[in-house]
Amino acid sequence: MQNLHRQTLIGLFAVVAGLFLMIVAIPNWVSSPSNVRNIILSPVFWPYTLSALTIVIGLGLTVTGHFSSEDMSQEKAEVPGGYGRLAIMAVVMVIYMFGLPRLGMVWTSMLAFVATAFLVRTSHPRTAVICALCVPLILYGFFAHVASVAIPQGNFVRLP
Amino acid sequence: MKFAKFSAVSAMVIGLATAASAADYPERPINMVIPYGAGGATDISARTIAEPLGKAVGQSLIMANVTGAGGATGSVAVKNAKADGYTMLFARVGSHSVNPAMKATLPYTLDDFRFVTVYEINPFACAVEAKSDINSMDDLIAKVAEGGVSYSSSGVGSGLHLAGAMVLDEFGVEDPLNAATHIPQKGGGAAVTAVLNGTATFLCTNSSALASFVANGQMKPLMVTTKEPVVGFDAPTAADLGKPALHQLVGWTGIAGPADISDEVAAKWGEWMAAAAGDEEFVSSMEARGSIIDVMSPEDANAFIQEQYNTFRALVDKLGMRIEG
Amino acid sequence: MSLMDSILAGLSLVGNFEAFFALFAGVAIGTIAGAIPGMSATMAVALTLPFTFSMQPIIAILLLLGVYKGGIFGGSIPAILIKTPGTPASSATVLDGYPLAEKGQAGKALGMALWASCTADLISNLALILFAGWLASFALNFGPPEFFTLILFSLTIIAGVSGASLLRGALSAMLGLLLATVGLDLVYGTNRFTFGDPSMMGGLNFIAVLIGLFAIPEVLAMVWDPKPHKGQTRGLGDDKVTFAEYRRCFKSIVRGSFIGVFLGSIPGIGAAPSAFLSYSEARRKSPNRDNFGKGELEGVAASEAGNNGVAGATLIPLLALGVPGDVITAIIIGAFMVHGLQPGPMMFILNVDIIYGLFIGLIVSSVFLFFIGSVAIRGFKYVADIPRGVLFPGVLVLCVYGVFAVNNNIFDVGVMFVMGWVGFVMLRNDIPAAPFLIAFILGPLLEDNFRQAMLMSGSSPAILFRGPITWFFWGLTVLTVIAIIRAGIRATRTLKRRA
Repeated sequence: MQNLHRQTLIGLFAVVAGLFLMIVAIPNWVSSPSNVRNIILSPVFWPYTLSALTIVIGLGLTVTGHFSSEDMSQEKAEVPGGYGRLAIMAVVMVIYMFGLPRLGMVWTSMLAFVATAFLVRTSHPRTAVICALCVPLILYGFFAHVASVAIPQGNFVRLP
Repeated sequence: MKFAKFSAVSAMVIGLATAASAADYPERPINMVIPYGAGGATDISARTIAEPLGKAVGQSLIMANVTGAGGATGSVAVKNAKADGYTMLFARVGSHSVNPAMKATLPYTLDDFRFVTVYEINPFACAVEAKSDINSMDDLIAKVAEGGVSYSSSGVGSGLHLAGAMVLDEFGVEDPLNAATHIPQKGGGAAVTAVLNGTATFLCTNSSALASFVANGQMKPLMVTTKEPVVGFDAPTAADLGKPALHQLVGWTGIAGPADISDEVAAKWGEWMAAAAGDEEFVSSMEARGSIIDVMSPEDANAFIQEQYNTFRALVDKLGMRIEG
Repeated sequence: MSLMDSILAGLSLVGNFEAFFALFAGVAIGTIAGAIPGMSATMAVALTLPFTFSMQPIIAILLLLGVYKGGIFGGSIPAILIKTPGTPASSATVLDGYPLAEKGQAGKALGMALWASCTADLISNLALILFAGWLASFALNFGPPEFFTLILFSLTIIAGVSGASLLRGALSAMLGLLLATVGLDLVYGTNRFTFGDPSMMGGLNFIAVLIGLFAIPEVLAMVWDPKPHKGQTRGLGDDKVTFAEYRRCFKSIVRGSFIGVFLGSIPGIGAAPSAFLSYSEARRKSPNRDNFGKGELEGVAASEAGNNGVAGATLIPLLALGVPGDVITAIIIGAFMVHGLQPGPMMFILNVDIIYGLFIGLIVSSVFLFFIGSVAIRGFKYVADIPRGVLFPGVLVLCVYGVFAVNNNIFDVGVMFVMGWVGFVMLRNDIPAAPFLIAFILGPLLEDNFRQAMLMSGSSPAILFRGPITWFFWGLTVLTVIAIIRAGIRATRTLKRRA
């Protein structure tokens, strides 16, 4: 797949991430008040230290990866349709998040259960559908009535 | 677009439902958000009143701790909730008068909430470790002048943080922010521990948080902020010391909803609170922890909080404590 | 009053059916709650608290303690069976418990978890009874500088859980440390990587990160490649732990228990670091250290001993000083106060009957834990029989409910999903997840204590070397780092020779 060793790639990624943090992320998204008396007490001191260490470790990984003979691709790198299924799963998660406050946790969970079960090509489709109906309801009963957690109910159908 | 049609129909149904519900509110359980963690002063106070309050309401109250950012996470959750009276907040001195006074970037203001009551007042007390050679406020102020005095708090922008600065300011310390070091901790328990193990010199916090340490002889109270002495605290009051401005420095717990809850809902809460606060078991267990039960009407509660906020805001501006980032 | 009188007074207080029933019910509730991911021991105790308001003080507290102890053990059940730690404390158990379950030895892993938990619980309770006063005054010597050095030493655990490559482990730890900086700054209260979102201001929820990192990648891996597992069940396997196995792990269990007692008696650390420290020590000392992380029974024993060893010991600062050691004991202190009891040195004089009543109750609770735990294992073993095509979607839904329930916040569910993808990418690239987690727990402690120490001293680093405790931990840290480097060099040499 690639000429570079996987570890070298990870190392390069770490270096880039560290640089990104130092140059873009920390100056923009960490606010530090102007009256900081000492640099080591500043809110940005710790993130900068960590970014620097990340870069050092990244360089270490890059170098050792270059000389490493460790075989890091013991698993099959490519599974037919793997990326497609992962993409669908990502969409399922986004819909899940979107549906929680709107549809309610119980109904969204039922849909997600079915979607996931078919995505992993379950060998017991009928059991999966029955479970998809029961599991969210039972969990709702437990969390809402035993543990008295305010499970999101959504805008449409309200459970007792 | 089936979905659009479906949601349009549902929206109408919900519209009808809300119209009907104003009269027979509450027809389902009410979510009560506690913006602080389980076991804290707010949590215990809220769960203690939930018992008699639930009876008065006639519906169950679902208590939900939504913690984080000094009460801000839970407060925002209620601010953004539907103003139907089914999501209410246990507001506290830290989340609703100190935080708005100190933090410029706070994602809410006092105007985002409508208070239906304040039901508990909790005096503040200042204390030092028992073996310390500081025996009075005068000793403490003298020590501050020498330098090396620090005070702990449950975090930046907490009631304890402001209390420490306010007390020093009232006692005439010049530039209290630099004269004494503020050492923030994570949570009220850690703040007390910091004084016990010598990390910090003193702290000012709710008397209920200190009561057991004073009773056990581990800590020495220096003063309480009320007019009347507090049971169990052998220390002068702010009135005795001639600092009436410190009377503003009290903890409180109240109940608030989003800004646009209807007058009917607010009125109902007024009735319920009056009924709940009459419960003897509730009163005795709260008083055992050093609190004063004083149920305020919605108007009184708003005025009380606004006044405290203004006092704190003036102090914060004077000392330059406002957090802009 | 002599010791005998105190014990008799305590016995008269708890020597009734109600007290034992409360304790039994508490352990049972805790075990079940702990076994549900997201229902942490903390939540279980918080939920039980209001029910205890109307009880007698001693019964109320025994009930809560039972829930606490049951909860810490219960967390190990889903950690082993579905790689989803029920409580943060059991995240170290995942490391070897889940591989054992994959091998079809879930029963053995659960059995060992139970034996280790009960042994550690007993040791912890005895430590509380015998050394409470001494350990408490020792704990009060821990200010920010001492904490800082202790946490620094604890970070060396990362080397023990890094697996094949120390550097990749270190990278994982860095990511964890960086992620832990999200939230409000401790000293100035300013925003760090919050993007103005109030949910981010509180920092990322620990349990959401934990479950996202361990459980969700398993679901994603199954989505990625459903074939190898199709329709397969694992079975529980032989569920008996032999005496020989227990004896083999006994040293690790005792060591883990003492680590737990030590860390538990210091307020503010909690059970999860203790479990990891115990695990990494066991690995360092064990003859089959190469098997750790691949399903080593001793790893499960050490982790569970480490986290249950904390349970009794956190009561040391609570009873002797009135200081809560963690969130759970903070709730239990609340329960004391509701009943007008004020924990602290005076309690040993004023309420000596309650203190000894609690001691007796605690000893009994270890026994209850054993019986209830055995029953629970038998009850939950059917989880292992569920076909994966049904189990994994169920795990997903369960995690969503659980993570939501922790803080009643949908945002946390999103955090869990995102961390799930991060965890999956790490899994595919052989970057270990455990260092990430340890760093995420310890990072804020390290930074906060460092800055508090600097505030105390006016930014003079000399304070980090005050007193013998700091020197002790500096020494330990240096020794451990040297040992890690030497081991690293040796490993490279053998690799080269082979190549």
